[in-house]
Amino acid sequence: MIGGTLVTLLAQGPIPADMGGVTLAHYLVVSAVMFVLGLVGFMVRRNLIIMFLCTELMFQAAGIALIAFSRFHMNHTGQTFVIFVLTVAAAEAAMALALVVLLFRRKETLDGAAWRELKG
Amino acid sequence: MIEKIGALWPEIILFAAACIVMVVGLSPTAAVRRLCAPLAGAALIVAGIVAWFTTPAAHGPLPMLPLFGKTLVAGVGVLLALLLAGTPDREYESAIARGATGYDPIRANRAEFWAFFLFSLTGAMLCAGADDLIWLFLALELTSLPTYIMVAVSTGRNRSMEAAVKYFFLGALGAAVFLYGFTLLYGGTGTTRLFAPAGEPSIASILAAQAAGPGINAVAMTGLVLSFLGVCFKIAAVPMHFYTPDVYQGASSAVAGFLAFVPKAAGFFTILILAGAAGWWGSSPVDAGGSLPQPLHQIVLIVAILTMSVGNALAVVQSSAKRMLAYSSIAHSGYMLVGVVAGPGPANAPYTSNGVAAVLFYLLSYGVMNLGAFAVLASLERRRADGSADEADDVNDLKGLCATRPLLGWTLVLSVVGLLGLPPLLGFWAKLPLFTSAISSNEIGLVIVLGLNSAVAAYYYLRLASVALLESPELTNDTVRSSPFPARAVAGLASAVGIVLLAAWPLNQWAMQGGRYQRVEPLKAAEGTPPARVDAGAPAAR
Amino acid sequence: MPTLLADTDVGSYLPILLLITMAIVFAIANLAASNLIGPRRTGHVKGMTYESGMNPVGTARKRFNVRFYLIAMVFLVFDIEIIFLYPWAVTFPNIDHAVADGAVWLGRILFFLLTTVVAYVYGYRKGVFRFD
Repeated sequence: MIGGTLVTLLAQGPIPADMGGVTLAHYLVVSAVMFVLGLVGFMVRRNLIIMFLCTELMFQAAGIALIAFSRFHMNHTGQTFVIFVLTVAAAEAAMALALVVLLFRRKETLDGAAWRELKG
Repeated sequence: MIEKIGALWPEIILFAAACIVMVVGLSPTAAVRRLCAPLAGAALIVAGIVAWFTTPAAHGPLPMLPLFGKTLVAGVGVLLALLLAGTPDREYESAIARGATGYDPIRANRAEFWAFFLFSLTGAMLCAGADDLIWLFLALELTSLPTYIMVAVSTGRNRSMEAAVKYFFLGALGAAVFLYGFTLLYGGTGTTRLFAPAGEPSIASILAAQAAGPGINAVAMTGLVLSFLGVCFKIAAVPMHFYTPDVYQGASSAVAGFLAFVPKAAGFFTILILAGAAGWWGSSPVDAGGSLPQPLHQIVLIVAILTMSVGNALAVVQSSAKRMLAYSSIAHSGYMLVGVVAGPGPANAPYTSNGVAAVLFYLLSYGVMNLGAFAVLASLERRRADGSADEADDVNDLKGLCATRPLLGWTLVLSVVGLLGLPPLLGFWAKLPLFTSAISSNEIGLVIVLGLNSAVAAYYYLRLASVALLESPELTNDTVRSSPFPARAVAGLASAVGIVLLAAWPLNQWAMQGGRYQRVEPLKAAEGTPPARVDAGAPAAR
Repeated sequence: MPTLLADTDVGSYLPILLLITMAIVFAIANLAASNLIGPRRTGHVKGMTYESGMNPVGTARKRFNVRFYLIAMVFLVFDIEIIFLYPWAVTFPNIDHAVADGAVWLGRILFFLLTTVVAYVYGYRKGVFRFD
């Protein structure tokens, strides 16, 4: 979906790029694929740990795109951004760890479907 | 560098207070632990005053947004601190008071709860003043990460835990989506600076140059759309609204009242900042009021229509008061998006046709009215069969409230009638400019949908009011009692007074200031449109 | 001082590549050699814990003490702190003393390190570092 959009966008070529054989488009396609995989995985899987890993995958997809753009634009802002993204990802990891441990101790399962007290 | 820090004094005060609260709240002495909430409240008052006097006008299209946003967050934050009184560690502290157990810091949550409350408000303030994508991303995350934990510890029950997990996972998804949007926005413009002094490259000026020339870069436009969809999570708008009723029901009423305002405020500041960077462009004359660049305009329009319709339609069928308020919170986000679609109107437009000012004023009045409704729910509790107390949630718990507890009852009636938007009250004066600004920007279809939705909303709001006002209390009603935290009732009372009096105050002038819009000058090509376009990655760079 | 990947001479990374290859070959060779020429004896005594190790009791699916998770989370704070030190450490030796003051740069990073002390004090008060 989003990956497809990006490929067509880049084929129209608003940003022509050449990074010595590997172009910006290559990086963006990888990152878009990772993002979409994460999104699909998040929707499909019901294991809490896997769902969390999927969101991490989406974060790292953004990280790859940021570094590629940073190289393309020849400034370091994108790389700086990645450092902060990593920090936030670590904070989220700590929080996910805490919540998942808390849940597991109450129900002895990591299946999201086991938690259906709230309807909807 | 220094001037940037100079604009951040309120946030620095709140952050320092949060650090102090985090340590003070772990004291083994109960009296010291109880200082957390007063400390947080005092810090908010000081931060609000400091924000009022020190916040400078920002560069960029919405120069007064930081001032308005920071003072608004601090002001409503004081009421929220009252509302949240007594939420964390309720059962644990009473067990300690009975002498059933000793104090073990590892089992206590009070310090974290109040520190995270302050961190979250700091994040919302930072959102209002953001002028860089990295800053905006961090501010949004600082707003939402603490709220997940606040939900988890708000009651000792499993459903709070479940609500927190649901909220956290969908929140992480939303964060990933807007992060990817920010990434593409950076990719399409070559900078993460949103606003800069005239003549320097920033996202706003580069997008303006693109819009004036060949049209906005497709990558940047995709980024804007993705960012908007991701932030929809924060404001509980349609593609990302699923969590709202479950999370509000699972959290305690006080925390639900917090969730209904703070992330929403941060989300709307973000949307206004991003929309300001994209610019509201007139079709023919340059300085006529206009709409957002095309695909974005369509998407915000569709999201606004879906959000208010879905929210109102589902609110009608709820029997739980909290779920009803949750769906109504979704609907109110839809109303506010109308103002974003309408845009600030032509230069020096009157208040009635400035959609941005309408959004800001609506945010203020929604914060006050919604707080009243949740404060009433948080002030009532139902004794369960096993003797433990649970918060009032079912609409039937409110039967005859005006007769049994007139203060709470009338607060509830005032807030729901205010949320509905009946004339003399605050809600009406908030909704009116949304209508007029949408009309003056020729969004007639949107105005009709808004009107129809207000009519649907009347059904469930009036039902809530009539249950409290007209029905007689059930005989079994003695299981419903007041909660032992008078501060919550005080918060409700303050909001009731606000609903009546704030409309008379010239607060809309303040919102008008906050919504002042100035068009960003396109970056001149001679100054290097995207500075980045200089043949990136070519071997010549070696 | 090359700051971009394109400016770096890839050849200068050859020793590292060599080192990694040697490490891998050494590890594989050792495993293979002990598999090929080592004696194979099994038995109860052979499977016992060596010298001062603890005797294994119970199953591996034992509930870990919650303190391990707490330590893991405290570790994350210091782990992420390091990320911010790297760019600073790379930049600090190269700052132009005509425009920037080295003491100010040092002060900034020291202030940043000081903020983690808040996390440490909090962890201490919370009792994360008590093992009783």
